[in-house]
Order: sequence, then C-alpha cells, then structure tokens
Amino acid sequence: MSNFKAFLATFVVATLLITSCKKDKDPVIPNEEEVITTLKYTLTPAGGGTPVVLSFQDLDGDGGNAPVITGGTLEANQTYTGDMVLLNEQENPVDNITEEIHEENKDHQFFFQTTIPGIKVSYTDSDADGHPVGLQTTLKTGDAGSGMLKITLRHQPDKSATGVPQGEITNAGGETDIEVEFDVTVQ
Amino acid sequence: MLQFNRVISITLLVVLPVLAFSQDCSFTLKGHVKDADTGSPLEFVSLFVESTGTGAVTDSTGYFEMDHLCKGDYHIVLSHLSCESKNAFVHLVGDSTLELTMEHTANVLSSVVVTSKSDNKTTQNVESINQQSISDNANENLGNMLQSIAGVSTLKTGSGIAKPVVHGLYGNRLTILNNGITQSGQQWGNDHSPEIDPLVANKIRVIKGTSSLEYMGSNLGNVVIVEPKRIYRDPHLHGRAHYSLETNGRSHGLNVQLQKYNPKLSWKINGTLKKSGDQKTAHYFLTNTGDQEANLALQFEKSFADKWFADLFFSTYNTEIGVLRGSHIGNLTDLEEAFHREIPFYTKDSFSYQIDAPKQKVNHHLLKLHTRYLRDDAQQFNFTFAAQFDNRREYDVRRGGRSEIPALSIQQFAYFAEAKYQRDFKRQFRLKSGVQMNITDNTNNPNTGILPLIPDYLAYETGVYLIGSKKVNKSFLEIGVRSDRINQNVVAISRTLPREIVRYDNVFQKLGTSLGWRYSFTDDLLVSYNMGLATRNPAINELYSFGLHQGVSGIEEGNLHLEPEKSLKSTLGLNANIRAKLSLDVLGYYQRIKDYIYLDPQKEIRLTIRGAFPVFEYKQTDAEIFGLDFTGKYQINRSLKIKCSYSFIKGHDLSNHVPVINLPSNNILSSIGYEFFRPIAIGHKKLENFTVELIDQNVFEQKNILPEQDFVPPPKGYNLLNAKLATDMQLKKQRLRFTLKVNNILNESYRDYLNRQRYFADGLGTNFILGIGLKF
Repeated sequence: MSNFKAFLATFVVATLLITSCKKDKDPVIPNEEEVITTLKYTLTPAGGGTPVVLSFQDLDGDGGNAPVITGGTLEANQTYTGDMVLLNEQENPVDNITEEIHEENKDHQFFFQTTIPGIKVSYTDSDADGHPVGLQTTLKTGDAGSGMLKITLRHQPDKSATGVPQGEITNAGGETDIEVEFDVTVQ
Repeated sequence: MLQFNRVISITLLVVLPVLAFSQDCSFTLKGHVKDADTGSPLEFVSLFVESTGTGAVTDSTGYFEMDHLCKGDYHIVLSHLSCESKNAFVHLVGDSTLELTMEHTANVLSSVVVTSKSDNKTTQNVESINQQSISDNANENLGNMLQSIAGVSTLKTGSGIAKPVVHGLYGNRLTILNNGITQSGQQWGNDHSPEIDPLVANKIRVIKGTSSLEYMGSNLGNVVIVEPKRIYRDPHLHGRAHYSLETNGRSHGLNVQLQKYNPKLSWKINGTLKKSGDQKTAHYFLTNTGDQEANLALQFEKSFADKWFADLFFSTYNTEIGVLRGSHIGNLTDLEEAFHREIPFYTKDSFSYQIDAPKQKVNHHLLKLHTRYLRDDAQQFNFTFAAQFDNRREYDVRRGGRSEIPALSIQQFAYFAEAKYQRDFKRQFRLKSGVQMNITDNTNNPNTGILPLIPDYLAYETGVYLIGSKKVNKSFLEIGVRSDRINQNVVAISRTLPREIVRYDNVFQKLGTSLGWRYSFTDDLLVSYNMGLATRNPAINELYSFGLHQGVSGIEEGNLHLEPEKSLKSTLGLNANIRAKLSLDVLGYYQRIKDYIYLDPQKEIRLTIRGAFPVFEYKQTDAEIFGLDFTGKYQINRSLKIKCSYSFIKGHDLSNHVPVINLPSNNILSSIGYEFFRPIAIGHKKLENFTVELIDQNVFEQKNILPEQDFVPPPKGYNLLNAKLATDMQLKKQRLRFTLKVNNILNESYRDYLNRQRYFADGLGTNFILGIGLKF
C-alpha cells in the first residue's frame, strides 16, 4: 500500500510539472519567396512612342486588400512588342520572378485570350525544345473596340498538345499560376 | 536468445513425454467451449493438441474431454465453423477443467462485424472487428476496414487517405482512441488520415453512442477504439505473420507479431511494412497514388504480485502517401476543366512505384505507460501517462525547385495523464470516475515559405467524469456526467502587411451528460435507449484557418467568434435473435446540434493573381442529423448464410433550410456465404473453415444536396460486386490461413460522393488480393 501512495504522489507531482499554459515562443514568420504580387505586361509600340503598361498588383497576397488592376488604351492597327515581368514586391529588395520562369521555361507557358476582335498575340521566344514561353511577345491590334485581355500562366502544361504551341489554352492542362484580366480599349 | 528458447522448447517437448511415461499419465483435461459473444455452447469445436497430434471434439453442450494426458505443457488449437481459430496453453499438473470461449466471425462479410450483446459494460451500441478480420483485411487502412459496419463510412482522398465517418461525424467530431489514448494529430484536415496502424490492434470497436463521457475528445457520442490485447499467458514464443499481395497498385504488405509471456517481463512486438504503387481505375492508372508505410509497436507487461499490473507501449507509424497528380490544380478554371476531362491530366500509361509531389509524409509516435492497481475485488485504480508526437509534411507541386520543400509542415506534441477509479458496490452497482489532462503543443515549421493554414498553439484541457451503472432485474441503467475546461493559447501571424504576431487566449467550458437504459426481454431480445448531451469546443482550424485549400480551390477563413457546439443525441436500438437462425440489429438515431460549425460558401469571389476563388467562412447554424442502421443475418442451414446491412442518413441545416453537406450516401451491403462443414482433405492435409462469399455493395446517389452546395452534382449511385475465399490449414505446430479476395469483379467505373478525388477521377477498378497468414 505504501508503494501505491508513493506512486500516487509521483503521479500528482509529475502532472503538475507538465503544466504550462502559454505558448512561449513566437513563430518565425515564413519567408514567402514563391508569392507573385505583381504582373506587368509592357506593350511598346513599333517605331517608338509611349509604352502601355497593363499591371496587376496585390502586395499583401491572397486576401486582405483587393488587388490594383490597371488596364490600358491601345492604338488601332498597331504592332506592339510585349514584355512580361513578374515580381514579388513583398521582398526587399524586390524579387524578380521572371527569372525563375525563364530558368524553368520548359515548365511554363503564358496564354493570351481576348474578347476584342482583331487583337492577336504571337510568341517571340521559345524554350530549349522550341516551344513558346510567352515572356516575349508581339501584339497586333486591328480595328477599334473594347473588351478584356486575359493573361494566364500555366505550370507544367502539355506544351506539345494540339494548338498549344500556337497559344490555344484548351488542351494545355497543367496548373494555373496566374490568371488575370485587363480592361483594354483599342482606338 | 530466441535460439536458446527454441532449444529449450524442443528439449522439453522431446524429454517431457519420455519422462512422462515413467510418470503418471492418467490426467484428464475437460471443459467447455462457449461462444464469446452470446455465451451459448459451441458444438463440433475441434481441439488439437500440438505435441501429441491427438484431439477431441465438443458435444452439443460444448463439453470436451481428453484422457491419458501426462504432466506437462500443452498447446491446444481450437477450431470451429465460422470462428477464428484460437490457441490455448495449459500447464498440466493434475486433472484440470478449462472454460474456453471462441469469437464468432460472421464470415459472410468481407470484414467481420459482431454486435456484442454480452458486452454488459455499456448501454451504448458497440460493434467490433476482431483479429481475424483485421488480418484478412491487412491490405486496408483503418478507415476502409471499418466501412462494413452499418452507419460507418469513410471520407477519402483517393483510397490511401481515409477518415472514418460514424453517423455522419468525422474529423474534429469523432474521437479515435489508439490503445486507450485519444489520437492527437491533424484531425482537422479532411485529407488527413488517422495516423494509426490497424494491424497493431487485436480488436477495433466502434461505439455508435450518444455521449462518450469516458474519453477525452469531442464527446459527441461516436468513438473508434483501436486496442491491442494483453499478452497471452503462455511462456513460449508465439506469433503470427501475414503477407498480402494486391494486383491493383501491385502492393506488398508484411506484418509480423511475436510475443512471449514471462512473469518477470512479458513482451510483444509488432511490425508492418507496406508498399504500393499507382492504383488503377477500370480504365486508367491513377498516377502518383502509391504509398509506403513502416510501423513498429512494442508492448511490455509486468505484474507485481496479484494486485499491481503495469504496461508500457510504444508505437511508431511512418508513411508517405502520393496524391493523384491530376488532382493538384491552380484555380477554379482548372477545376472546371478537370470535371470535363474523361481521364485526369498527367495520367501516365504505365505503372510506377514513384511517389512525387503532391504527397504527404507523416510520422506519429506514441509512448504510453499504464498501471493498474486492484485494491480489492471491488475496487481498482488505473493511471496512464502518454506522449505523442505527430510530424506531418505535405508537398505540393511548386515553382523554382520547391517541390522538395513541404508546403505544410506541422509538428505536434501531445501529453496525456489520466487517473481512473472504478468500484463495484452491492447489488450490481458500479461507479467509474476519472480525471484527465491533455496538453497539445502545435508548431508550424517556417521553412515552408508559405503562411501556415493553421497557427501555432498550445491547448490545455482538463476533464473529470463520473459514470454509474446498475442492473435491476432485466434492466441495465447507465448515467454519467462529464465536465471539461479547455484553454487555447494561440500565436498567429497577421494576414495584413507588415506581418505581425497576434496572440489569442480562449477558454471553453464543456459539459456532457448521458442516460442509457437497456432492457432484456429475454436473452435473445434486447432493447436499448440512450440519450446524451454534449458540447464540443471550436477547433483551431475552425477559429483561425486562413488560406487557399488546394484540393477544393477555395479560400477557407476561420471565425474568431465561434461558440461551442451543443449536441443532443438519442439512439434507440433493437437486438433480436430468433431461433439462432435469424438475427436482427436495428439502431435509429437522431442528433440535434445547436451552433453546428460548417463551412459556408460566401457570396464574395476573391480575386487573386491566380484568378478568382470562392470564399468559405466557418459559420454556425442549427443542424439535425438522423438515420437508421440495420443489420440482418439469416442462417439458412449449417453452411449457408445471408447477411444484409443498410445505412440510411440524412441531415438538415435548420436555420438556412438546406441539407448538411458531406454526409455519407445511403448504402446496402448484402452477401451470401457458404462454409464447408467438413474439412476438405488434400493428401494428409485438411482445408478447414473453407468459405466462399459473394458480397454486393450498393451505394445510392446522394440526393440530399442542392446544386449550389457543390461545384458539381454528386456522382451517380453504383453497385460493386466483391468475392472472398478463405481457408485454414493446421500444420504440426503452425496454422496457416489463405484468403483470396476480389474487389470490383466487374471492373465498374464509378465515383463516390465522399471521395474528394471524385472531382478528378474514378474509383478503383478490379483488385485481386491474396493473403497468407501463419500463426504459431
């Protein structure tokens, strides 16, 4: 019986010892390197002129404040050189994600879809397999009109599926890393 | 050491009979064999004495007698139609009487379920799966093993990740006890399987109750109990081994158990290794659905005098599970596209054992020290200490070579202490009480580079309960009360920039009571009624989760203002046996949950750089869930049996007048089985308990859901045909068991409502499963 009492005492003491009510340590805030906060699609008209910048910026990532989306006005029947830049502006200095996409260009492809008749985007870059990437493009406008331009970035798409090298998204598959829409006017 | 033991055993075996001849060889061993569940005598039980090769058979009263036995040790193997074979050990020093029981395997179902009416300890409905069906289904995980019980389903992600669902409750609402300890892990995630190796257990019980007062956890009534048995008092080395092979997934599984009783220290060891590759639907491979598992459990027991018993248990569970590559999507557009695909994207034409991202790696370790002190015949004390460590890492397909860095990495420590007291008073009155304490310490690893879905926290929980039970004539009454206090100390990271640390302190009080009554009209007709009131505090994910849930393409937001759920559940059960031919088991239940916590789809569509996502917020409502479990068995003759079980369940959100989502579809499981009464002779060997079964699984379409409650309508109902062959063979000192199962014989294409993979791919196609078991 005395054994039992000793055990009971040990039990009570041990129970008290493991009692602590506060989570002492603050968590380490993870370094969100993978986040893309900003997309800038800069369209420079052939023969010079003021470039048009379509941009999507969401500095606090998913949730929180709403993103700032800036559309643009393009000239009718003009040819633009398109340059895509992706940034993580949460980092200091700002992290250029474009380089990451460039390094893994075999695994990525941008797609351009629009509701404005006459706008045509063609790829001017390619990965090691000769498949387009979409960091460098040419955009041609037709007659005046207004509507939406959707830019999609797919991760690990099937780059050789039917229509995909020509920029058709239907058979691309893969996961969407970016999908943004811009209001665009052609005049 | 093993070698030495064997030498001794062999020596004894050889020497003993020799010595015995010079001694008195006129001892008689007699006794009875009864059905462990019903207590009725078992006729035609064959008793085989390993060392002599002789035996006996029980008569109609379950009586057996063996004469001319010498002094010494005997291992006796009992076998009987529809029963799991059993080993008994006798140290014979004179005429002896043995009272033995055997467990029934109502082997008509692939997994064997017995409602134990002799389980007088509670008025609540308990169903169990025994050792033999656990090893016959060694290829399955815990969730899938329980599926054959009426009222139990699984919430799956593919087939490798399966959470048990009992009466519509799962995850945070379902308590799972691993060896007496409330499983502490990541129950909050719908794609988190319980981190338990069911092969360590000798028995798995499911309590379909109203208020589980004895255990820590959600207390909403339903409990899954996974328990290894005590080490059998046989001083020799015994064990079992089981190997299983599956064609679908080309999986191999090996489980080995060894045990030895010794008055100084008894031990038992249990190890499992499993490996499986890509599984296959009726028409295509499910790329990246392989998994591998390595588990080990150690059990030590020691008795100090007659009154004091102590045991130490350690188990480690380690798994790596692949998640269908095609189910990893970026946004709603991708999800939409996935619905319309015949075959998931990324599907390969060839089989592979390779496991890439997306995948999960989980380690779970449990250490438990338990001791029991019997003060006298009527009083006992139990003390338990336990520590658990859960390490969960989930990998996504990521950019910039980050797929090797987990996207979610959570380490959780849990410490548990318990003191229980039980006392039997006069006139069959029993009192049980206990004090419990649990501390959970959850920490995210910041290396993920992603804001954690749930925050770091320390939860501190203390509980106390008192349960009284009494038998009065034909009635058995049970009444209990429980109170808990939970303190959550949460350290979260703000969602706004600049990121800051935000601390929260929550205190919840829980109260539960239960009342149960069982009335036995006769031994073969029982009625039971249970009513329970319970409270469940909001879990950490319901309060604080924040982020994108990849699998369902939605943003989940916790709600800081949640109140505990209050539940009132009633069950009414009927258990009838008619002339030992027909048995019926019916359980109706109704549960009303006030402040039921659920994910509410918000009107808002949130725009992110990856596109637009629907937002789900944790909200509270009043809900009701009710249903009926029915199991009927009919023994046509000695060999032929049919069985049918039906589960019906429905749930309503009473405030919003919509159905409750994620409830199992209604289903019927029916089967017909034939067991050869006489062993089939093959040369000198005999195939015993030779059984053939045909099982039909019919799952109805989930109609109780509105189109706006899900991205796609629930899949159509389906019907699967399965078969099983099983037989035992007694060798000199070992007993072999062969099983061959075929699942989805007709190679049907189907999708299940409760499988989250249904958005992307079909369920499994035909699967042949071969199992070989060895018991010695």
